[in-house]
Amino acid sequence: MESHPSYPKLSILVQKYPLSAGSLFQTYNDLVLAQQWRDVQVTDLGETCKRASIQGKRPAHIAVDDVDTTLHVVPCSMSESISLGWISDVFKALSNPESLYLAIVTDDSSIVYYKLSPGIVKPFV
Amino acid sequence: MAHSRLPIHVANKRAFVWDVEDIAKLRSQHHICGILVGTLPHLSQQNVFLGVPLVLMPEEVVLLVEKEIAVLVDDPNVYPEPTSAQLKKWMTEQHAIVQHQQTLFEANVKDNKDVKGPDRAMSEEAIRKRKERELRRQQKLLEQQNSPLHLNDEQQNPSASISTSQALSHTENETNSSSFNITVPAVSSSLEWYNSSSCSYTTIESAKEAGIWDYPSDLHDRAKCGVFRDLWEQGYFMGGGIRFGGDYLIYPGDPLRYHSHFAATVIDSPSSDLLPMEIVAHGRLGTATKKTHLFCGWNDDKKQVSYLSVEWAGFG
Repeated sequence: MESHPSYPKLSILVQKYPLSAGSLFQTYNDLVLAQQWRDVQVTDLGETCKRASIQGKRPAHIAVDDVDTTLHVVPCSMSESISLGWISDVFKALSNPESLYLAIVTDDSSIVYYKLSPGIVKPFV
Repeated sequence: MAHSRLPIHVANKRAFVWDVEDIAKLRSQHHICGILVGTLPHLSQQNVFLGVPLVLMPEEVVLLVEKEIAVLVDDPNVYPEPTSAQLKKWMTEQHAIVQHQQTLFEANVKDNKDVKGPDRAMSEEAIRKRKERELRRQQKLLEQQNSPLHLNDEQQNPSASISTSQALSHTENETNSSSFNITVPAVSSSLEWYNSSSCSYTTIESAKEAGIWDYPSDLHDRAKCGVFRDLWEQGYFMGGGIRFGGDYLIYPGDPLRYHSHFAATVIDSPSSDLLPMEIVAHGRLGTATKKTHLFCGWNDDKKQVSYLSVEWAGFG
């Protein structure tokens, strides 16, 4: 991990939160290299959440209206056990965005992203 | 007012509604659907068209009682031993019904004999008469059957309907008699000895004390009641969620008119474990079926519900 080109950007948060280091590293690389996100940053979510989050924009070529909106991604491992309370803490730490993406990372490094929104939000038709 | 509340019949800790009017009222005025589970006596092998009774989910029952819409009736105990006078009266009525059917049957046999007479059947005169008779019969059938409610009224007062039909059979020899209905009453509340006053319960607590009801009994039950109530108060219709692996399906209006927009899972408390695998499974199924999956978190201290909507992100 240390020799990877992404490591310098992540090193502080990887060392601070070793339990989520793997999922943070995999998610960051997936967003930057595979999903081609732009302006990708990492921020510390603080003591209550004990991990880092990732901010970025989707690639400019995809056909969505709000392509330049900054999105929040929170990495976690498939084997973790989370809770609604924890999710609401994460929303608070990000100063209550409309939605966030949970990146779920498995052992073989495949990642799935799910969009979480507080409240009753109708499906997009 | 306990009298204007509709009765929910509780037997073996399951809640039933037997009256069709009550079922319609629950659905149209209180957006509570329940599930019809009664089979049709003539089509007992099918399970597509079901009738009374309506079975209610326990959350629906708790809501209806707490909102003072319904009362719980301890069904096994509303039929005390009838007095001998009541029994005699009931026997007399039964006897009258049997006699009424006998009369109809005999008239029917006679009618058939007439028709089968070889000479009469051949003559033109007979054919003409038969056609007239057929016409009259159809008109009369129409008159009698145009209101099913009216028919019910007659059956609740059998002596009256007998005397009218007897009078008819006197004035007209060829009374229509080839078809008649036998109604098996769904509700027994018309029986004279039916008495629900001593075994109706207006609160969940009193029903629990009486030992006929025990829901909600733990945190999970309370969470489900709390979530159900909160969604109901927002105007949604809820149905069972088994088809989409959740606790409820949430409809914006009557399920006969709308598709559901959400499948919901009840989470007992903010600290309850939530596995990422659950988010994936519910989220992806919901997206594939054009529904959002709702995690409905119950906070038992604050008695509050918080919702989290989950959708597939569209990438990854």
